[in-house]
Amino acid sequence: MSVLSCEQTDVRIAGIQVVNKLDLEIRQGQFWGLLGPNGIGKTTLLKCLAGLEQPAAGRILLESRAISELPRKLLARHIGMLQQHTVYVFDSSVLQTALTGRHPHLAYWEREGAEDFEKASTALKVVGLEGFENRSVTGLSGGEARRLAFATLLVQEPEIMLLDEPTNHLDLRHQVEIMGMIHARTQAGSHSAFAALHDINLAARYCSHVIMLFGDGAWCAGRKEDILDESSLEKLYNCPVERLESASGPRFHPAAG
Amino acid sequence: MMPTAHRRLLFLLLALFSAGSILIASAIGSVMLDWSQWLTAMTDSTSEFGELLWRLRLPRAAAAWTVGALLSLSGCLMQVLLRNPLADPYILGVSGGASFAALLGMTLGVAASILPALAWAGALVSILIVFSLSRGEGPWSGTRLLLTGVVTASGWAALISLLLTLGPDSSLRGMLFWLIGDLSYARLPYWALAILIAVFLACFGMARSLNVLAMGETTARLLGEPTRKLLWLIYLLASVLTATAVSVAGNIGFVGLIVPHLMRLLVGSDHRILLPAAAMFGGLFLVLSDTLARTVVAPRQLPVGVVTALLGVPLFLLLLNRARVKQ
Repeated sequence: MSVLSCEQTDVRIAGIQVVNKLDLEIRQGQFWGLLGPNGIGKTTLLKCLAGLEQPAAGRILLESRAISELPRKLLARHIGMLQQHTVYVFDSSVLQTALTGRHPHLAYWEREGAEDFEKASTALKVVGLEGFENRSVTGLSGGEARRLAFATLLVQEPEIMLLDEPTNHLDLRHQVEIMGMIHARTQAGSHSAFAALHDINLAARYCSHVIMLFGDGAWCAGRKEDILDESSLEKLYNCPVERLESASGPRFHPAAG
Repeated sequence: MMPTAHRRLLFLLLALFSAGSILIASAIGSVMLDWSQWLTAMTDSTSEFGELLWRLRLPRAAAAWTVGALLSLSGCLMQVLLRNPLADPYILGVSGGASFAALLGMTLGVAASILPALAWAGALVSILIVFSLSRGEGPWSGTRLLLTGVVTASGWAALISLLLTLGPDSSLRGMLFWLIGDLSYARLPYWALAILIAVFLACFGMARSLNVLAMGETTARLLGEPTRKLLWLIYLLASVLTATAVSVAGNIGFVGLIVPHLMRLLVGSDHRILLPAAAMFGGLFLVLSDTLARTVVAPRQLPVGVVTALLGVPLFLLLLNRARVKQ
């Protein structure tokens, strides 16, 4: 059981309060979509949840313990994060990079065993990078690098997956595949996910819960059926939105005019 | 990934070549030994050339190997620390402090045997200055460390120029050799070897952490590394390696920059392979360079720093070019 929660959390960027007293519980089985315009603090909130930054006020808890007091290695076994950008300065092979996901599970002197290699190969296969094992990471395309970063997260096996724009650089098929994978894992009840997204319809299709950040500190969070509608989206993006019905639920588009 | 069998073969070859380079260095010089003379000298240290071998050439070759290994290891660490492939052991001013102290000693005419200790003390001062100035509050900042180090290094360079300008002419040649890097008077100091072994074991133990760190500080934290502590530890270890190397042999250039790169090109960037490979290759590279430095214009000797640059630069450019073609 791993619940990641915020208690009365404030997030500030350059002195401006972008999130005011956020109370949130990310429970297993939930897939949260984090929506909001550019520069509103989505990444900063994700970093706070991952323990990379301290919130301006309030606490972030894993179960009942403040994550700021937990050792990083322990955190890394429970919480993983896909960053918005991955830059590789030093050359390395795709397989070796995927294997770094095992780092928090191994003792300092320990080498990766057959099981770790197995996990890395499986993850690479799952994201469609089979056969790339010995390729250099510096030669990958943007989308391939993105899928490798996601594979590394899968290899890390955290129950709580934080994802900063997971579909960046991905073509349509890979967007659907990766969102589908996260959806399937959370549906199974063993994992939870919290993803900053720009595509409302990916949120509408795959997420179970949605949180919106309005930028003035206001937020609203809950089940997507209760949160996602034209009026809240229009307020969020300051742009007229129309709702269309599809077989798999409502979809939202910018309204003409 | 390199299969275990390849890895073992690589280490075996590098160890053999290291031993071979030291043996070659013991036979070659202004006095060339043939096979039987060499064998007699090796087995009997009181024979005609025994003293030459055991008192001069072997200790010098062993010192060269140790210094080469120290510098290469330090270079590997600095590159990860600053996440910059251009970083070398001297970039953060450690060698500047050491050089200034050693040159000051020469100016004041202190005994040559005290110079290593003096150089180490100078390096330590520089390490502490950079450490305390760049530490600060808040998250790790590689840029702050880099700037503090580079500026401190420039400060030392200015002081060194001052010493060169004001110092007595009689000591200039010695100073110049020291600044270029010279092994003429180097004998294997056991403390340097002990430091090499101790730091190598420490780094090898955290080699997987170095791999993760090379992917970026944030990535490393997300994968469970307490990076702030780790990065300062790496800074201290790399500085100690540099200080030791410089104390023994002066500022030998290029080894600490080029050998880590060469090895990255040849064996990849897994530090569990890279660190031992770079240490051994750096060692044997410096032994061979020093042998050339002793023999090219024998009986005169060149400072080894000249040879490392003259050998290292074309070798590096060639390999870099070939690596690009392969990609």
